[in-house]
Amino acid sequence: MAEAKKYGGLTEKLKSGKEYYEIRLESIGGLGANLCGKMLGELGVKYLDLNSSSFSSYGSEKTGTPVKGFIRYCNKEKEIRVHSPVVEPDLLVVFHQALMKDTSVWKGCGQDTAVIVALEPGQEKVDGCCGVFYGLEAQRIAMETHSRINVVMLGAALKVMGLETPEVGEQICKDTLGQKYPDALEANLQGIRRGFDEVRMLEVAAEGNCSCGSSSPQEWGYETAPIGGINPRFGSTVVADLSPSRQGYIPLFIKERCINCGLCHSTCPDMVFQFEKGEYKGREMMVNQGLDYYHCKGCLRCVDVCPVNALVRGVEAEHPYKDYFITNQELVRKPEYYEEAGPDGYITSESYLTEKRMEGGEV
Amino acid sequence: MNKQVVEYASGNEMAAIAIKQIGYDLMGYYPITPSTQIAENLDIMRANGETDMVMVAAEGEHSAAGICYGASVAGGRVINATSANGLLYAIEQFPVQSGTRYPMVMNVVCRTVSGPLSIKGDHSDIMFILNAGWPILFASTVQQVYDFNIIALKLAEQVRLPVVVAYDGFFTSHQKGRCLRFEDDEVVRNYIGPKVEEYPFLDLEHPITVGSYMNEPDIINNRYQLHLAMEKVNELLPELFASYGELSGRNYGKVEGTGCEDAESLLVLLGSSYDTSIDAVSEMRAEGQKVGAATLHVLRPFPGKELAELIGESANILVADRQDSYGAGGGNLSLEVRAALQKSGSSSKVKSLIYGLGGKDFFKEDAKTMLKWAADETKPDFDYYGITPGEENKAEGQPLFEPVTAERTNIGATKVELGESLKVTGGTLNAVTAMPGRIAPGHGACPGCGIPVNLNLLLRGIEDPVVFLFQTGCGMIVTTAYPRTSFKVPYLHNLFQNGAATLSGVAEICYRKQQKGEIPPGDIIFVMVSGDGGMDIGMGSALGTALRGHRLLIFEYDNGGYMNTGYQLSYSTPLGARSSTSHVGKEQYGKTFFNKDMPQIMAATGIPYVATVAESNPTDFIKKAAKAAHYAKTTGTAYVKAISACPLNWNDKPATERRVIEAAVNSCYFPLYEVEQGVTKLSYDPEKTGKKIPVLDWLSMMGRTKHLQKEAYGDVVERMQVEIDRRFAELKKRAE
Repeated sequence: MAEAKKYGGLTEKLKSGKEYYEIRLESIGGLGANLCGKMLGELGVKYLDLNSSSFSSYGSEKTGTPVKGFIRYCNKEKEIRVHSPVVEPDLLVVFHQALMKDTSVWKGCGQDTAVIVALEPGQEKVDGCCGVFYGLEAQRIAMETHSRINVVMLGAALKVMGLETPEVGEQICKDTLGQKYPDALEANLQGIRRGFDEVRMLEVAAEGNCSCGSSSPQEWGYETAPIGGINPRFGSTVVADLSPSRQGYIPLFIKERCINCGLCHSTCPDMVFQFEKGEYKGREMMVNQGLDYYHCKGCLRCVDVCPVNALVRGVEAEHPYKDYFITNQELVRKPEYYEEAGPDGYITSESYLTEKRMEGGEV
Repeated sequence: MNKQVVEYASGNEMAAIAIKQIGYDLMGYYPITPSTQIAENLDIMRANGETDMVMVAAEGEHSAAGICYGASVAGGRVINATSANGLLYAIEQFPVQSGTRYPMVMNVVCRTVSGPLSIKGDHSDIMFILNAGWPILFASTVQQVYDFNIIALKLAEQVRLPVVVAYDGFFTSHQKGRCLRFEDDEVVRNYIGPKVEEYPFLDLEHPITVGSYMNEPDIINNRYQLHLAMEKVNELLPELFASYGELSGRNYGKVEGTGCEDAESLLVLLGSSYDTSIDAVSEMRAEGQKVGAATLHVLRPFPGKELAELIGESANILVADRQDSYGAGGGNLSLEVRAALQKSGSSSKVKSLIYGLGGKDFFKEDAKTMLKWAADETKPDFDYYGITPGEENKAEGQPLFEPVTAERTNIGATKVELGESLKVTGGTLNAVTAMPGRIAPGHGACPGCGIPVNLNLLLRGIEDPVVFLFQTGCGMIVTTAYPRTSFKVPYLHNLFQNGAATLSGVAEICYRKQQKGEIPPGDIIFVMVSGDGGMDIGMGSALGTALRGHRLLIFEYDNGGYMNTGYQLSYSTPLGARSSTSHVGKEQYGKTFFNKDMPQIMAATGIPYVATVAESNPTDFIKKAAKAAHYAKTTGTAYVKAISACPLNWNDKPATERRVIEAAVNSCYFPLYEVEQGVTKLSYDPEKTGKKIPVLDWLSMMGRTKHLQKEAYGDVVERMQVEIDRRFAELKKRAE
C-alpha cells in the first residue's frame, strides 16, 4: 500500500510543512471510538516522538448515538493550542456503515483525505465522493479475534497513516490494558494486527454529486425561535430515524403466531408496536399490526418476552424489506423526512465505561 | 528543577493527580458534569490504594460544600470540585467559609448555567462567585490545571482563605495532551509545607467558637480583614509563582500576553480561547499585523494594575466574554478590564463581544475575526458573536399528532371503582395498547432502557390528561434535545433539587384557575418524574411537597445510579455495586452503604398513596398507576417508584432486562407493595409462590455486581441479604 504514504502519510505530511496531521473518528456510542482516539493520541506522544492531543464530542451518556473523536499530531516542538474540532481531516475513520449517509460525517473532506470505512461482510465498494477510500470488515475481525471494533480500526488507521508496522499500536494497547486486564490483551493485540494487515484500498462505487458537509440552514435562531427555549412542536422526535442504533439484529414479526397479548408493547422502550382495533379469534380486541422500524433500536426486548415466538431475532442485512413495517399510526401527517441517528450526543466519562469495555463487557 | 514525568492526560485527570500528590484529607463532592471525572479518577486511586483520602459523595452540592466546610474547620486539608448549577446551589456556603477564614481548594470546571439546561462549557458559572471572598485562579491549559492546584493550596493556607481553581469545561477538562508532573509526591508536599492551625478546633483544652452572631459595628471589621487577606494574596502570588517556577521550570504571572508590547489591536479572553488566540496572533504577526492577545490567571483579586501595564498601550482592545452580565453592556471580564484601564489612565478603546456560550467552539479564525473587529470602526462596541437569526420553515411547524385530549385518553381500559376501599379493574396489556402516547417515539434513550418502558406503563394506567414535570436526568435529556421534543402533553423541566416544589406551584395555579373559571374544569394528573439521583438531591423538595399534601403524583424511576453522567453512585445504588465513584479494587469493594428505602421515607410523610412497581408485573403496575392518579387528583400527594433497567451501566443485555427486573423482585430487593391511606399491603410475595431467590442470584445477572460472586465478597453479600430479609420481614409484619 505505497499509496498510503501519499494520501494518509503522517510523517510525510508533517515533513512537508503541514502544521497538524488531523484525524476525525466518526462512530456510534458503544463502539469504543473514545478509547481508540485516546490511544491514537497517546501513542503520538509516547512512541512517535510527536506532540499530540485528542478529545471526543460531548453530550450525554448514551449508547447508539453518534460520537466524533478528534486527534491532532504535530512536531514535538510545537504546542497544540487549537481546541476546536477537526474540520478538515487528513484521515477520516468511519466505524459504522449507518453513518455513511450522514452528510455531517463527510464535512471538510477533500481529494487528499484518506477515509477508512468499516465494511459489511462481502462489501467491496462504497459510495463516496471526496477522498481516497480504504476499508476492512472490522466487525467480523473483531468477532473472530474476540476483540473490539475500536482496536481493529486503530490498526487500520496506523496502516493508512503510513506506519511500517502496528507495533506502536500494540505497545499503547499493552500500556492501556496490559496490567489491568491481561486476559483481554492478547485478543486486542490480534485485533490491532489484523486491522493493520487487512485494511485495503477500495473502489468507489458511485461518484455522485458531492454533498460533503452540506447542511440545511438552522431553522430556529434568535429571530425565529420561540422565546425561552419553549418548544411547541409536540412529539417532534418522531422524525428521528433510530435505525443506526441497531447492532445488526432486528425483531421479525410472524403475524400468524401472534396472540395479541400485548407483552411486546409493554416491554418496548421505543413505542414501535402498532396496535389497532380489530378482531382476533372472533373477539373484538386490539390487534398487533406491525412495527415502526424507524424507531426500533434493536434491543430485542420484545423477542425475549414473546410467549409464542411471534417475534424472533433476525439479521438485519438479510431483511432489507421488512414485513409488517408500519409507520406510527398516531401521526396525522407524514413527516417531510426522517432524520438519521439519535438526537443526542455523547460524553466521555471514561473511568467506568472504558474499564467495562476493556473487560469485554457488552453494551 | 525536580524530576518530572510526562503524562498524556486531560485537565480533570491532571487535577486528580495533583490532588492525590498533595495528600488531601478529604474530598466532599457531588457529581456534576464536567467536573465529575476528578472524583471518579480519585476514586479509582482510592480503590487501588494509591490514596487514603476520605471521599464523601454528598446528596447535593450544598451538602458537599457543608462537608468541606466542616472538614476544613476541623483542620483537614479539603478539596471539592463542581460546575455550573452545582456551584450556584452551593453558593451560600462560600461566603460562610471565606468570612470565617477556613482554607480549602475547589476546582470549578466551568460550564453553562441552566436553563435551558446545557452541559457544555462557558464562564457563566464562575462569574457568579466573584463576590464570594475566594481568590480565583484561572487555568487556560491542562498543564496549568495541575500547577495551579498545587499553588492554590499553598496560597489558601498562607492567607487562610478558600481558593478556586477554575478552567474550561470540556475544552480543558476533557481534552488530552502532553503535560508534566513531578515524579515524587514529596516534592509537591514539601512545596506546600505543613498545615499550621492558629486555633485548632479539635483542641478540647482550648475550646473556640466558630461562627459568631455578629452585626454592626463588628461585621464591617470582619469584612475588612477579608479585604486585607485579598490584598495579601496580591502580594503573595508573585512570590508563589516564582518559587513554583524554580521548582517546575514553568513560570506564571497574574496576567499573560503575547504580542502585547506593540499591539495596535488586542484581544483579552479567558481560558482555552486565549491558548488558541496565541496561534492566531503569531500567524497575523507573521503577515505584519500588529496584534496581540492577553489573559488573566487570576480573577480574584483582580490584577488590574498588572493587566493595565500589559495592555494599556494598545489602541484597540476587544474583550471577549464567554458569559454576559445581562444589561451591563458586557460580560464581567469586560466590565473589570474597562474599570482597570480607566483607573490606570489608559486611553484605549475597549469593545466587548459575547462568544462561545453553551460550549460553542472557538476556532483560530474566530480569534482573527475578533482582532479585526477590535480596530474596525464600523463594528459596534458591544455585540454577540456567532449568533444565528434562523430561517422560518412553515411546513415544519404543522402538528404531527392530534393533541392528547381527555376524550382520547379515557379508553375505559383501567377503571377505578370507589367503595369502602378503592378497587381497580382492567389494566390488561391488550386493552391498554389503545392508550394514545403522551410521549412520542424517536427519543434518544439507549436500546433496552427501562425508563420509557416504565413511563409507558405508568401512562397507560392514567386515563385523565397528564401534565409533566421532569427533573434533570436521563429521562429528560433523551426526550427534549432541542429543537425536538418527545412530549405530546404539557411538559416542564426543572433542576433536580426542586422538581416537586415546582410542580406544586403549577398544580396550585391550575386548581385556582379552574376554580375561577379561567380554564376549563376537568381532572388533570400532575406527574413529577425523577430518577433516583433526583430523589437524592431533590428529596427535601419531594418531602416538603408530600408534607404539604399537594395533589400530584411523584414517579421515581430507580436505576440505581446517576446514569446520565456516566454512572456515579446514588443512595439507591445496591451495596457493593461498582460505579464510577465506587470502584472495585484491592482497597474497596464497590458501594459501601445500603440502598435507600425511599418508599418507606415517603410513607412516613403520611401521604395517601405509596406504591412500588416493576415492569415484570405489568398489570399490577398499570393498576397502581390508576390508583395513584386517583389519589393525586382527589386527595393529596401520591408516590410511585419503579425499578428501572439500565443496560449501559448495569452492564447486562438489553434484551433480557425484564428478567433482571423480575429477579430483583423475586429476591425481595425490590418488593412490590402499596401503602394506601396508611395501610400496607403486599402486592406479591415471592416467598408464598416459592419464587424467592437469594439476592446473589440477582446480583450475578449484572456486570456492575458480578464481582460479588467472589468468595472474598461473601460478607458484603451476607450483609445485604440480612438487610433485605429484615426489610421484607418488617414489611410483611406491617401488611398483616
